[in-house]
Amino acid sequence: MRAVKFVAVIFLLSSIQAVADESASPPGKSEGQAVPSASAGQGTTPPFDLADTARIEAGKGRFGANCAAYCHGFEGSGGKTPAFRGRTDLKPEEVFKVITEGRRGADVMPAWGNGFSAEKRWELVAYIMYLSRQPPKP
Amino acid sequence: MSRGRGNKSSRNFAACMAAAAVLAGVASLAAAGSGPGYDDPNNWPQYHRSYNAWRFSPLTQINKSNVGKLKVAWIHQPGNITHGLQATPIVIDGVMYTISADNNVWAIDAATGKTIWHYAAKLDPVVREVFYQAASRGVTVGRGKVFVGTLDGRFIALDQKTGKEVWATQLTNSKTEYGALFSAPPQLAGNVLFGGTTGGDQPIVGKIFAVNADTGERTWTFEIPKNDPKSWPGDSRKQAGGSAWMPGTYDPTTDTIYIGTSNAAPDYYGDERKGDNLYTSTLLALDPKTGKIKWHRQEIPHDTWDFDAAYEALLIPHEGKQVLVHLNKSGFVFVMDKDNGKLENVWQYAENMNWTKGIDPKTGAISEMNRPEVGKQKLFCPNLLGARSWNHGAYNPQTKLWYSSGMEVCNTVTGAKQEEVASINGLSLGLSEITLVNPPGKKADGYLAAFDPYSGKVKWKKRFDLPPLSSVLTTAGGLVFYGDMRGNLYAFDADDGKELWKFVAGSGARGGPVSYAVNGKQYIVIPTGLGSHAPGFLAGAFPEIKDLPGGAALIAFTLE
Repeated sequence: MRAVKFVAVIFLLSSIQAVADESASPPGKSEGQAVPSASAGQGTTPPFDLADTARIEAGKGRFGANCAAYCHGFEGSGGKTPAFRGRTDLKPEEVFKVITEGRRGADVMPAWGNGFSAEKRWELVAYIMYLSRQPPKP
Repeated sequence: MSRGRGNKSSRNFAACMAAAAVLAGVASLAAAGSGPGYDDPNNWPQYHRSYNAWRFSPLTQINKSNVGKLKVAWIHQPGNITHGLQATPIVIDGVMYTISADNNVWAIDAATGKTIWHYAAKLDPVVREVFYQAASRGVTVGRGKVFVGTLDGRFIALDQKTGKEVWATQLTNSKTEYGALFSAPPQLAGNVLFGGTTGGDQPIVGKIFAVNADTGERTWTFEIPKNDPKSWPGDSRKQAGGSAWMPGTYDPTTDTIYIGTSNAAPDYYGDERKGDNLYTSTLLALDPKTGKIKWHRQEIPHDTWDFDAAYEALLIPHEGKQVLVHLNKSGFVFVMDKDNGKLENVWQYAENMNWTKGIDPKTGAISEMNRPEVGKQKLFCPNLLGARSWNHGAYNPQTKLWYSSGMEVCNTVTGAKQEEVASINGLSLGLSEITLVNPPGKKADGYLAAFDPYSGKVKWKKRFDLPPLSSVLTTAGGLVFYGDMRGNLYAFDADDGKELWKFVAGSGARGGPVSYAVNGKQYIVIPTGLGSHAPGFLAGAFPEIKDLPGGAALIAFTLE
């Protein structure tokens, strides 16, 4: 019985430690929020003209640094994902939703809704829509 | 002994012969041999079966003469195919312990495939945002418990019999550490449970954590980037990467942990971290009680090519002693004394390699390096995934050969100053462009090779049009078991590579084949179901990968 009590105390101390660790962690951007949602207070209409070349350039840089290397490939032409060039079916609000919420199937696209502001995500949309207007790679 | 007449004596004779036959049957199940590679032949009690990382089964019931007759005994499907099955199952006394997508842990009857218990980890929602989603390479079993490293940065212990949670300890803060998580099972060193996280390509300080295996209480934490401005000038240490993301091994004869570390970050941009960048791209030998370094060998000082040293530490006999054979992503194998790291040999594993003119086999000195440059597109072989991915090789003490995979793919890289990584799922690659390309003059492909592990001499090599990502199993039945990216499963003759058996599983192999016996019957179990980041990355060089299906099916094969 003493051994049981001792073990119980250890369990209690461990669980207190675990809770303390969590409450001591600095608040993150996603505190209190589960998987980011595209419609949560941000709307699904772009806050600027998606054809604006400065916005497309900003999206291009962000895409190259975050999306291309392991997953979408240079100019979105690699990876297990469908290529972006020559796509007539892409709708900006749907692209925004996928970037925000991620995607799951056999493979995974992480959710970027908490990592990038809505404005930054729309710049990625601007670049992807720009790519979709380019001829497919030969 | 009289014959014919005398029923009692003839019954005794028959009984003796029957007993002898039974004993012969049991004895013939496993090859004779001594040492850790032969111990506990009916089980697969740890990640590589034995601490020398051989992935060798001493069982002989399935062998060259009958492997062509292998048939499916059972299939276990976890129901979630995200990132396939990447685990190496553990099998102890007829129970298989494994893990599938989203940290679902299974205890399975290893003879029938029926689920005994199932534990579904309750994960923090942040796991939907991190880069390394869904997958784990296995669980560890010991001390009456099943140990898990989770996607939200915890070690968890489950009761081995019931699957109920015994303790859980939070080790990382996903939100402040770029989602640093456990993608591989923590390992046991006595009563110490230890393991490292993901994040070698992220701006973090990579760590190896240790807890008391019975209580979950934290004991020591080893920070991999050395606290020395000569190793890490300025603020570079805080973004060093330097994780230990693969399982280490524990040598109980010397009470030593072997664990390898990742590349340095930003991967291809080293201008702001000029120094040796210890202890990245290093094989560490640690004291399990304190986490202190016994010895270390940094294979690639100031790495700027994403050349991890995280793969398995293979221990093999050589001329009366034990040496440690260690493949580095750079395409070189470092052979060293297992007790002090003294270099015995270095041999080139990769066929296509252009980042150095060579490594001195006696000193490890790296000659004339070809480094990435900011704003300039340059060709590097091997590519970012390395001369081989993390899928493990296997050593057969009867053939004395090491069976290990390779990929011959290069990439162009244009280096770039690494800006602040804005999101927890972002990487610190230090480039503005990376494109997979063929090696000069050849078509990119992959292979399974049989090497002399000490000298690197190739005995046989089988080429594959898509680089296979399965770990290797070898057995005393003279066999090598393997799987390719399309889900073709194979048994090869360990001596000459001849294909002796093939099975079409339908989705690629990314986990660890194992073998074990239950009630005198040998099983081969191969996880199938393609996953991990490698296929997506390789699709740049192999567009047909786009059409490969996912899956998750643990398939058991047996004779009769």
